[in-house]
Amino acid sequence: MKAVGARLPRYDGVAHVTGRTQFVDDVRVGNLLWAKALRSTVHSAEIKGLDLSKAEKMKGVRAVITCADVPQNVYGHLEALGIPGDEPLLADGEVRYLGQPIALVAAEDEGTAMEAIEAIEVDYAEREPLFDIRKAADSNAPKIHQWGNWYTHFEDEMDRRQIRKGDIEAAFEMADTIVSGVYRPAAIEHIPLETQTALVVPEPSGRLTIYSCTQALYFSMGVVAAHLQWPLNKLKFVGGTVGGGFGGKVDTATETMSALLALKSGRPVKWRWTREEEFLCSSTRAPWHMEIADAVTKDGWILGRKMLTLHDSGAYARFSPYGLTKHSFHHTGAYTIPNLHFDGYVVFTNRVPTTAMRGFGVTSVSFATELHMTRVAQILGLDPFEIRLKNANRVGDTSPNGIAYADPSTVPTIQKIAEAIGHELPADYRSMNGEARQGELLPEHLVAQVGDPEAH
Amino acid sequence: MTRFDAPVLTPGSPEEAVQAFGDGAGVTLIAGGTIAMPEIVHGRMKPQKVVLLRRSGLDKVSREGGKVTIGAAVPISELEQGDEPLATAAQNVADGEIRAQATVGGNLCAGPGRDTPRGDLQAPLLVLGAQVRSAGAGGERTESLEEFLAGDYRRRLVLDVSYSPADATGYAAFWRPHTHHYTILAIAAARANGELRVAATGVAPHAVRLSGVEQSGNAADALQGIEPPDDALASGWYRTQILPRLVEQALSSL
Amino acid sequence: MELTVNGVSREVQSPPLTPLLFVLRDELGITGPKAGCQQGGCGACTVLVDGEPRRSCLAPLAAFDGAEITTVEGLGTPEKLSTVQAAFHEHYASQCGFCTSGFLVATHALLESTKDPSCHDVEAALAGHVCRCTGYVKILEAVEAAARGDVGEVSTVTRPQEGQPEVLVPGSPA
Repeated sequence: MKAVGARLPRYDGVAHVTGRTQFVDDVRVGNLLWAKALRSTVHSAEIKGLDLSKAEKMKGVRAVITCADVPQNVYGHLEALGIPGDEPLLADGEVRYLGQPIALVAAEDEGTAMEAIEAIEVDYAEREPLFDIRKAADSNAPKIHQWGNWYTHFEDEMDRRQIRKGDIEAAFEMADTIVSGVYRPAAIEHIPLETQTALVVPEPSGRLTIYSCTQALYFSMGVVAAHLQWPLNKLKFVGGTVGGGFGGKVDTATETMSALLALKSGRPVKWRWTREEEFLCSSTRAPWHMEIADAVTKDGWILGRKMLTLHDSGAYARFSPYGLTKHSFHHTGAYTIPNLHFDGYVVFTNRVPTTAMRGFGVTSVSFATELHMTRVAQILGLDPFEIRLKNANRVGDTSPNGIAYADPSTVPTIQKIAEAIGHELPADYRSMNGEARQGELLPEHLVAQVGDPEAH
Repeated sequence: MTRFDAPVLTPGSPEEAVQAFGDGAGVTLIAGGTIAMPEIVHGRMKPQKVVLLRRSGLDKVSREGGKVTIGAAVPISELEQGDEPLATAAQNVADGEIRAQATVGGNLCAGPGRDTPRGDLQAPLLVLGAQVRSAGAGGERTESLEEFLAGDYRRRLVLDVSYSPADATGYAAFWRPHTHHYTILAIAAARANGELRVAATGVAPHAVRLSGVEQSGNAADALQGIEPPDDALASGWYRTQILPRLVEQALSSL
Repeated sequence: MELTVNGVSREVQSPPLTPLLFVLRDELGITGPKAGCQQGGCGACTVLVDGEPRRSCLAPLAAFDGAEITTVEGLGTPEKLSTVQAAFHEHYASQCGFCTSGFLVATHALLESTKDPSCHDVEAALAGHVCRCTGYVKILEAVEAAARGDVGEVSTVTRPQEGQPEVLVPGSPA
């Protein structure tokens, strides 16, 4: 226990400050080929024609790959979590987002690879794109995904993540006021200083060594093995040195394609994304649309919450159903609301598929719930700290998905914040704690939701 | 590497630079490289022949009899302590490392960015009544900055820019914050010999004078003859809302 | 063409239009300066040219004839860190490490030219450098410590100091 709370030097600190830390782009390998991608220049289209001949014949080009070169082109990265695959590694007959990779080339130098990409001819038959998740359910909305415009494979093939708790109609009957709000955080790009880069080296044994900047080495190894239809032991992943990930380097976006180029050319291949590719084509934190309606009493109890969430998954599902599920568990935030009606949809649009970013699924709902609490306080004319302390999670209170809290820190945290910013709390709020509710803190409507923290 | 195979000439004097440039056909000029190099690296510009102005002797600043002459290859950092409103504009170009590398000539001839305004020094120089001396097809010529920007300025080799300091100046700008900010809109104003000049960055492909304001002295006339574009930084509508306020601010220090 | 990098004169074959960054990384194997954006927007490629910090992704090789280039590798070694390097290590001013070379080189130039830099001087000198990990506060603390010369001995071994109690403050951040 000597290390807990102690000031320890970073094990990689000296390497960082002497410029010796080896990122993927710093690995020096002879006989190297440079990869570049042909990316869709339109948001949604059928690919009527794809002519690679000029690129294939170009001096210095050593390999060109398309979906035809991928042993398993569609593989769901989270199939193990029940999310079926929907996204082609390389576009197959159509593109669904601007920047979607269609083909890749490997050439003797970066400039030649870029020229080869320019020499590929694509014939797009453009289709009407969908960008606004609110319009996805309109009868005249273009149908942009094989599953419809939103994900339909939650448990029991439900088309939404649903939470029902208590009796929402009763709560809305009992309420003195209904407070509504709509919250729409925009997409956020991770902007890691290191752009996504992969280096693949074919070994004499027939294995591939893959230098990767992934945040999840074994996970990405599994993804590449699945696309290649290879046993895991034919791959050697080298990594763990990530120049900033923040959730954006879990998509395994470069490794498989670089591996295919390495196999086809028989030479080491490096694919280093440009900053433009990072901004335009890499996955982002999703945009969300959240509608909250709280049934509240004039003395500040939140009796019930109705919530609708639309999560913009972009053109494919990737990890979105998982993110939405986490989001749903936290849709009451740090507060106890006994009657709930939550519906969340993973909606498809013709945007770059979205992914994890620091607090996947939960940062959005924290943003919404906190703003909404303040809104409730404003509309009721109550203090925003007091309303939070009253409704704060306490020992035995249950979460939206029925887990009883064993040791929630909401009360002391809010008290500390009030103290830190010099906000005077009345004595009874100052003396609150997070222990199990009793007396005035356990009104009738909260009794039924109390659970047993030992149960989990 | 095919992108970088173009021959590079490094003239050692202004005369050699003029000769190397010729009529500009097939020549890519690089001084600081801050604009040209990313275009070349990303394959958007494919030079046939490069003339590098590093040692061409075009990096002198001189003051003679009230006239200031700035060589095309003078780094922007050298203007930071000079005459307004050039000094404030220069201080706010990118960051210190870029300012030390980027040049006045490069900034003048920047050409519109794909998504953002460039050429922050154009507006201050317009209000200072700058004259541009350049070489190229038809030989050397000196003309007002307005005439220069209205002509084939991308095919000229700027030799120097000269102006006389104004009696009173103003500058107001609105930036998108970043490690170095991006100028959304900037207004330069100057009064010299009783004449009012006002110019704007970010309302057109290059800086333009606001003739409405120059005539009336009134910020309300800022939008006369101006149609600000939509770009990655701001919509045209947004610019029309902000522009009169910035003009008011710039005029208030005259 | 001859290029002097970190005190060593090297013969380079890259075409004269090649950005210095690629010459350093791909031809000379000096990988401290990084390709963060290749458009001068992030500072990860910054090196010293005759002691002055410049973006190596923005200048062609031909511009460096006769110049002395210093990269982060030239500031110090693991055995003998420079004051700035030691300060960054001690103050946790580097997390993923990708932006670090650029910051170190720019800081080094600042402290060579300005003995007692103000906060404004420091921020102006580092204005062109982006960090997505640290939030900059620890970087500024490291720079200030280096400016004061207030840097302890650097240990590469992760072991708590002698005499420290078993558990200091539960949950206290390092």
